[in-house]
Amino acid sequence: MVSYTKRLFAGVAAIAALGMGLVGCGSSSGDSSASSNADASKDSGEVVKITYMHRLPDNEGMTTVDSIVDQWNKDHPNIQVTATKFNGNASDMIKKLETDVKSGNAPDLAQVGYAELPEVYTKGMLEDVTQYAEQYKDHFAEGPYNLMQVGGKYYGLPQDTGPLVYFYNKKAFDELGLAVPGTQEELIAAAKKAAAAGKYIMSFQADEAGNMLTGLAGASSNWYTVKDDAWVVDTDTDGSKAVAKVYQELLDSKAVATNPRWDPSFDASLQKEELVGTIGAAWEAPLLMQSIGDSGKGNWAVAQVGDWFDNDGKTGPDGGSGVAVLKGCEHGKEAMEFLDWFNTQTDALISQGLVVATSDTDVKTPDSWKEYYGGQDIMAEFVKANDNMGDFTYIPGFSAVATAMTEAASKAASGKGTVADIFAAAQTTSIDTLKDYGLSIAQ
Amino acid sequence: MTTPTRAAMKGRGVAKRSEAVKREERTGWTFMVPFCLLFLIVFVVPIIWAIYQSFFQQVATGGGAYGGGTLENKFVGLANFQYVITSKAFWSGIGRVFIYTVIQVPLMIILALALAMLMDSFIVKHVSGFRLLYFLPYAIPGVVASIIWVFLYNQQISPIVKFCELFGLHPDFFANNVVIGSMANITTWTFTGYNMLIFLAALQAIPHDLYEAARIDGANGWQIAMKIKLPNVRGAALLAMLLSIVGTIQLFNEPQVMQTADPGISDSFTPMMMALNTSRGSLTPKGDGPASAIAIVMALIAGVLAATYALVERKVNES
Repeated sequence: MVSYTKRLFAGVAAIAALGMGLVGCGSSSGDSSASSNADASKDSGEVVKITYMHRLPDNEGMTTVDSIVDQWNKDHPNIQVTATKFNGNASDMIKKLETDVKSGNAPDLAQVGYAELPEVYTKGMLEDVTQYAEQYKDHFAEGPYNLMQVGGKYYGLPQDTGPLVYFYNKKAFDELGLAVPGTQEELIAAAKKAAAAGKYIMSFQADEAGNMLTGLAGASSNWYTVKDDAWVVDTDTDGSKAVAKVYQELLDSKAVATNPRWDPSFDASLQKEELVGTIGAAWEAPLLMQSIGDSGKGNWAVAQVGDWFDNDGKTGPDGGSGVAVLKGCEHGKEAMEFLDWFNTQTDALISQGLVVATSDTDVKTPDSWKEYYGGQDIMAEFVKANDNMGDFTYIPGFSAVATAMTEAASKAASGKGTVADIFAAAQTTSIDTLKDYGLSIAQ
Repeated sequence: MTTPTRAAMKGRGVAKRSEAVKREERTGWTFMVPFCLLFLIVFVVPIIWAIYQSFFQQVATGGGAYGGGTLENKFVGLANFQYVITSKAFWSGIGRVFIYTVIQVPLMIILALALAMLMDSFIVKHVSGFRLLYFLPYAIPGVVASIIWVFLYNQQISPIVKFCELFGLHPDFFANNVVIGSMANITTWTFTGYNMLIFLAALQAIPHDLYEAARIDGANGWQIAMKIKLPNVRGAALLAMLLSIVGTIQLFNEPQVMQTADPGISDSFTPMMMALNTSRGSLTPKGDGPASAIAIVMALIAGVLAATYALVERKVNES
């Protein structure tokens, strides 16, 4: 009998332990917002709880998101915000949010890239906050502000922008007797001259093709336009043709580095001073500092992308995000109030490596950046690029287009395909993905 | 006289036993409950859900350029399966995995078997030390192992490449035809020790009388290994092969990690990657419907392959 009780007890204990395990799992995955919504509705009008999920770096030396949010919480006892950092890449975060929205426990606010916003909208993940957005319009630059709208309705506020600029090693340029090229011919000539000395002043990054080549091509004209509520897709614009021509010539004459951007070999070639110039998004400035390391300190500089791709002096977007209000958010007004405050915390956000999207153009370059980039006020350079950025509209399903472009670009990099194939792949995939979403396409 | 007594005793015995059996059954099931619950929640239910989902697609029904802001689940019958079966990307993925399996599995099994035999022979002293050493790579999670190897394969910083350059060789581990071999190498490095353990356990279960008898009959070490040990680990070999085939068909960690270093590894490089990226929406058609269909078709193929292998193995063993 004793043994039976013992056995029974053991069984019960085992189940209890299991139960605890399950409870543990449940609460950790859902705590982001389910509880806050419930709390907020219980004592409505008193303390509103807002949850915010971001992907900002929060690295050492930066003003962390939590500390910015703490400041807000101290000043606003009635609107309490909890920020959660998502450790993973953008597409994983979108997938997670998609599932969260479906199960009704998504955060109120989430970081969403401009290129992803239409897709996220079509997936039914956004809450219309047009009525609250209007009053904050003046706080943000017009271009980015409008990137947070889909079909005339607004879904959040912009945070940062990613204009493409040119990063180069000034010291190495001087040694080669080169200046930053102004025209297409100068660029190709300079690249060939550098290549003859075993250096590259341009990089062809297959893994970033979907973002960067789109931006470069988009500097001169849009790929996607809406006509009578249907999409007109043309990825073979003059801009695309120019990008294809230039990169093809550089690839053919082996005058361009082909290391993927996020592979350790990219960093290695920067450190060895093989790669001495590359087009990059403004937000790459602190990342490049890390990649190059102390050896390049003081040697690097930032310039505008020249008139290299028939872009008429304009540049294009690569990345940049806003913060969107997600479906199911019960306190749109308070969420937007916080968002307006948070996205205008210029100094703190700059420390996170962002080129802020505020209308305030008087932004300071952090001292450590200034020191690294040879005393240059690179923020001013970024703001200039930002003002000079062409408008670009992304379609829902653009992530599939970017994937197809990456695949084609890696073939082009290894000589198995051409750069023009990348834009051809973009065309067919754009049509396919729009069809798959059930959206209208103009013939 | 004897018959009724016996019947009565029998009856009583049955009654007694059934009570004991019931109690034991109860206890047994109590112990089974945690397993059954978990099995149901994390295995059976998701599979049923995946099968259900595979008949749907998510489309915007609102019309216009942006589709009204909601996606609806639309029943599409077998359209998702039709897509998978006619998809070129899917079959090239299966093809890659197949090539990979054909190269990697036999190589690893033979290597593991050889190591186990060596370990079981009298040549090696300090078996436990070696056993641990060979098993160690398995203790490193697959993703971490892949990251380590990405650095070891890297053109600019790899010590392996530097070593090869001493001999005038310039290996490119990410070249189009080489990359599968590079992945196979990571898997082999990780799992050889694990499979070796399976073989070693089987070898050590062989009664040592057999060796003694063989020695008395004049067999040498080599003959013992070939004629006694090898036939006796057939069961273990079958198990190791089956586990490896199922494992390699799910090839995912290595290509997923190596993709950062080599964008030439596409999002549909292996069926597993294709399923993941389809559900994320970075491949078109997107969504959980087509992704589930990919997973189901792949599971069927893996099942058929494993069953075929087991059948063939049995046939060979019988003859």
